[in-house]
Amino acid sequence: MGKSVIIKALLIFLVIFGSLSVSGEVKAADELNCILCHKYRGLSRIDETGKFRLFFINHNMFSLSPHGKVKCNDCHRDINVVPHEPAQKVNCTIECHIIEPSGQRRFSHQSIEDNLFQSAHSKYDKDGNLKELAEDYPHCKDCHEQPIYRPLSFFKGSKPGVSERAIARCKTCHRTGRFADIFYTHVTSRLQKTRTPREIVSVCARCHGDKAFQKRHNLDDVVSSYFETFHGKAVNHGSERTPDCVDCHIRPGDNVHLIESKSSPTAAVNKENRSMTCRVKDCHVNAGENLAGYHVHVTYDDPEKYPIEYYLLLFFTFLTGGTMYFFLSVIFLELVRRFFPHASLFKSKDH
Amino acid sequence: MSSRKYPRIIERNGKRYFFRFSLHQRLQHIVLFSTVITLSLTGFPLKFHDKWWAKPLYNFFGGIEVAPTIHRTAGTILLMLFVYHTLYWMSHFYKNRVKKLLAERRLNPVSFLHALLTQEMLPNLQDGKDLVQHLKYLFYITNKPVKYDRMSWKEKFDYIAPYWGIPVLGPAGVILWQRDFFSHYLPGVAFNISYIMHTDEALLAALFLFFVHWYNVHYSPEKFPMGTVFLTGYLTEADMMHEHYAEYERTMKEEGLEDQIKPQH
Repeated sequence: MGKSVIIKALLIFLVIFGSLSVSGEVKAADELNCILCHKYRGLSRIDETGKFRLFFINHNMFSLSPHGKVKCNDCHRDINVVPHEPAQKVNCTIECHIIEPSGQRRFSHQSIEDNLFQSAHSKYDKDGNLKELAEDYPHCKDCHEQPIYRPLSFFKGSKPGVSERAIARCKTCHRTGRFADIFYTHVTSRLQKTRTPREIVSVCARCHGDKAFQKRHNLDDVVSSYFETFHGKAVNHGSERTPDCVDCHIRPGDNVHLIESKSSPTAAVNKENRSMTCRVKDCHVNAGENLAGYHVHVTYDDPEKYPIEYYLLLFFTFLTGGTMYFFLSVIFLELVRRFFPHASLFKSKDH
Repeated sequence: MSSRKYPRIIERNGKRYFFRFSLHQRLQHIVLFSTVITLSLTGFPLKFHDKWWAKPLYNFFGGIEVAPTIHRTAGTILLMLFVYHTLYWMSHFYKNRVKKLLAERRLNPVSFLHALLTQEMLPNLQDGKDLVQHLKYLFYITNKPVKYDRMSWKEKFDYIAPYWGIPVLGPAGVILWQRDFFSHYLPGVAFNISYIMHTDEALLAALFLFFVHWYNVHYSPEKFPMGTVFLTGYLTEADMMHEHYAEYERTMKEEGLEDQIKPQH
């Protein structure tokens, strides 16, 4: 009882202190004043499983994110009082309070969930049964963090965040509230990738680059083989114009949640569809069909799957090794010979 | 080769220098090594993209947006040099060998083939003998070092290596560069083959050039920091005796300096 009095007193103090420190601008919908506590960088605890959990929210970054306008308890439905019990996991498919403007419906990510169900990444098979090793299949947060909006790159000197020069045009007419800011970021984030290609590859590599995961699902090391291609090399050197995983693994016009197994007849990387995927606008438009016959994910240690690549590499390995071994040995022996210029088993007299 | 334009022996400050490479040849060599070094510096940061040095080196050449253009330009120049050099030795071959055969009315397929295969830079039986003798010397079986003539087996290897390397590397590079065009005519696996041919032959060439060739002309005790024949075209007497004793003896005799020939050691 004494303890709860102290907590309440502390809360009252925090409310008064917090309200004094709040700046003039209210950044996002925070009706419950959750940020009052969650603004503290050290707000954390060790949970029942021994995992370190950080509950700090950077309000500036959050307000620039896609969920910046969503109220906290739109997603965290179980929290209605402060202080609160440990929150339940968020269900991304529930309807939130945002009214989707084109259809005047409450917004939900259910359609994304439906897409994911059809993809290679679904936990369920076609009949709706849970797959083997279902816990390995991704859910929303395995790939998505809170992305920060990046500006349109064709505005000169643009930096991450909102381009003031671009948004100034919108604000000429849309003067009230934060409508222009929110609408601008909503649209521009979809015109440009939120993540760099390098970051996308890292997201996929969380599972696909994990050796134990590859073994469990009998998959090749597609991350290493991707980085052996010029696509991978360019991406690693910071190129933004080079394709990452999702560029080739979704059909043009589909969204990323519809990645299918290459064995599916409708998959972007199915043998029949591959050449179309390579030749989409902005990529190899003028290429022939044969370009798709290029082995992107070559595993050089597999002579049965990729015999040509395996034996050609073997040839060059022996050629390089043999040449260097011979010449470096000659150099070494010549250096040693200098110390004993006249030493010899058989001495020639005419010399 | 015109010996009148370049005297076979010149003397400067009491030292003798022996002619080896004409200005024309030295200029070709400068284009060759400039493009090869540029190609290495703009190519290997891609092959070894995950190494610590790859990013700073690549960024020095303008990063992913610029370095590929530099690489392709240097590659184009190198391929042009290859064609130019082929025409160069062909014209030399015609002037020095074919014309002679024509004048002597001895030109037939056999004599032509014989002339073709006995060119200065091609390996012959003597090179095999020299190699065996050199290995005997290195393993202390004999104390007689090889008396190399104008071109030793090592120099012939130095010459033949890029002459094999450029046709392997170059077209593979062009196929990777113009992949959209070639995909109309070649199967997809051709790009995998080109990739291996390009990067692994490049690795062999770079390792050989920067370790073996540079040892012979830069790092070895008598050359360090650098042999100057690639700039002056002339070799010092000591180097000449060390590397081409047979030619040294012959040149001295032919130039009437037989009495001044120094022993090999």
